[in-house]
Amino acid sequence: MASKRQQRCTILIADDVPYNRDFLRAILEDMYDIIEAEDGEEAVKILQQREQEISLLLLDLNMPNKDGFGVLEDMNKYGWIDRVPVIVITGEDDSNFLKRAYDLGVTDYLSRASNVEVIRRRANNTIMLYVKQHRLAAMVNEQIYQKEKVNNLMISILSHIVEFRNEESGLHVLHIQTMTEILLKNLMRKTDKYKLDRETINLISNASTLHDVGKICIPSEILNKPGRFTDEEFAIMKGHSQMGADMMKGVPFQNEPLVKYAYEICRWHHERYNGRGYPDGLAGEDIPISAQVVSLADVYDALTSERVYKPAHSHEKALSMILNGECGAFQPLLLECLVESSDIIQREMAVDTIIRGDQRAMENTAAEMMQYEDLSTTDRTMRMLEQERTIHHFFSAVSQQILFEYTSTPSMLTLSPYGAHCLGLEETTIDPYHNKHVQDIANLDQLAELAQLLQGTTPEDPLVEYNCSLCINGRIQPVHITSRAMWSVEDPPQYTGAIGKVEECKKKEDIQ
Amino acid sequence: MTIQECYAALEGDYQEVLGRLYSDALVERFVGKFLSDQSFQLLRDSLDEKNFEEAFRAAHTLKGVTQNLSFTKLYQSCHEITEALRTKDYDLAVRLFPTVEADYAQTASAIQRYQAG
Repeated sequence: MASKRQQRCTILIADDVPYNRDFLRAILEDMYDIIEAEDGEEAVKILQQREQEISLLLLDLNMPNKDGFGVLEDMNKYGWIDRVPVIVITGEDDSNFLKRAYDLGVTDYLSRASNVEVIRRRANNTIMLYVKQHRLAAMVNEQIYQKEKVNNLMISILSHIVEFRNEESGLHVLHIQTMTEILLKNLMRKTDKYKLDRETINLISNASTLHDVGKICIPSEILNKPGRFTDEEFAIMKGHSQMGADMMKGVPFQNEPLVKYAYEICRWHHERYNGRGYPDGLAGEDIPISAQVVSLADVYDALTSERVYKPAHSHEKALSMILNGECGAFQPLLLECLVESSDIIQREMAVDTIIRGDQRAMENTAAEMMQYEDLSTTDRTMRMLEQERTIHHFFSAVSQQILFEYTSTPSMLTLSPYGAHCLGLEETTIDPYHNKHVQDIANLDQLAELAQLLQGTTPEDPLVEYNCSLCINGRIQPVHITSRAMWSVEDPPQYTGAIGKVEECKKKEDIQ
Repeated sequence: MTIQECYAALEGDYQEVLGRLYSDALVERFVGKFLSDQSFQLLRDSLDEKNFEEAFRAAHTLKGVTQNLSFTKLYQSCHEITEALRTKDYDLAVRLFPTVEADYAQTASAIQRYQAG
């Protein structure tokens, strides 16, 4: 049976009388897992800790230390009532009680003298109804999130290929994306001239990562030439905007807004507001707003980044150069946005990493979810997920340990800040098996053996202890790696990567 | 003594409880548990101490349990004392208690005889 591996639903029984709890347990325990609370206070405590796993609350009204109504009031206060259905089971036949309980959101109100079959059926029906509703919500949530994640991932891979060929870090595209989003959000507040909304801003900032895609057609001798360009070489370089635009025209999704914006951005992100840019010499509002914003972001990031031929300028220096027109003319309104967003730009650019990019995807997904009022539970799940991520990031950041996380698709290694410091690696390394820095500090055969051991585990027994050597703080030394393989919940489970901890073998040092 | 004879002795309604619980085994199991419920003792002690709030809760619980088991006679006297305590008519409650005590004794003795075989 397909549902064989599915967990049984859990029912929380809140009643101060052992006889009553025993009775309900006896008639329900063949189908459900049962948790018991001996009074209202305990019921609230259990809900606080385990709300997510409880499918139904069977609630008595007359209890010491917070009665049933008190529990219901708390459930309303904390929003649990939307997710955990409640059936009151009571010896109380006062109709005021019944009305008050329904007003507080209970699904059903049963007498102690109810037919056992009625209690079973009502419990089952209520759970099924809620389970269905939540599966649906989770499905929608998953699809929206997956869709956005896959989109972003594909765009990000594509733009990294360009960057890679361009011998740049990969941060440039993320910076452009961040800047574009910040500037557009500011612009949206200033004017409705461009009909900007959250979705459009999202699309344009995603499309912005493709702005230099045309550079893939530029011969790499020219692209990565350390010295100055000759006029002829510069002319070839300038061709990248037209070539990017041609590529976007060539893709088969011409009706997709993303492709439309990507086309505008590729073609016109070197135009200037006074008509002195290239390739078409467009001026003013003839330049689409998407390209205007990206060109400003591109200039800012070029100024604040280190290049072969120049050091990185400070934010203030970059700002004054742009405002003085040293990098060409921009729309005054956009320059206002740039000045006003100074703080947030500096903050965001400083923390921007691939993880940050992913976080933004999460935030956007969460925001998108807010538009579906009926899915407030899902939105809460998203918030919890974000909270989990925040907790994880925090602990990882403060930990004085070498912690790592490896995902196999895409192949990516993430280290705790301390770990990255000790190993002399970035916190995030894409495709670590082919990364020169990783090869410098680790023995690839050993890493491959560790990976093989991890893939040979099972979801039930995913732990691997492994001894090898690593270069820590510039010194090659024996280490002990405690690692746990991560398996997906699919059937059959898929290996998705591993997490773990690296410790120096103290013993060897003692011997020395 | 059979379970039916037990119900007859405590003046309960066996057909009714079987109709709700569907299985002899379940009825027998929870009749057995009735004596371990401490609500009656709590009711008696709380009335002695004039702790009427606690007495109400105990009477209310006992009423629920006897209703669940269709112990009709004891349920009836529990119901009356519960209502007296709910309306804070404590004199009435104290006057009603001997009936509850007698009905409880009748019920407990029937169950003990049934359990003895």
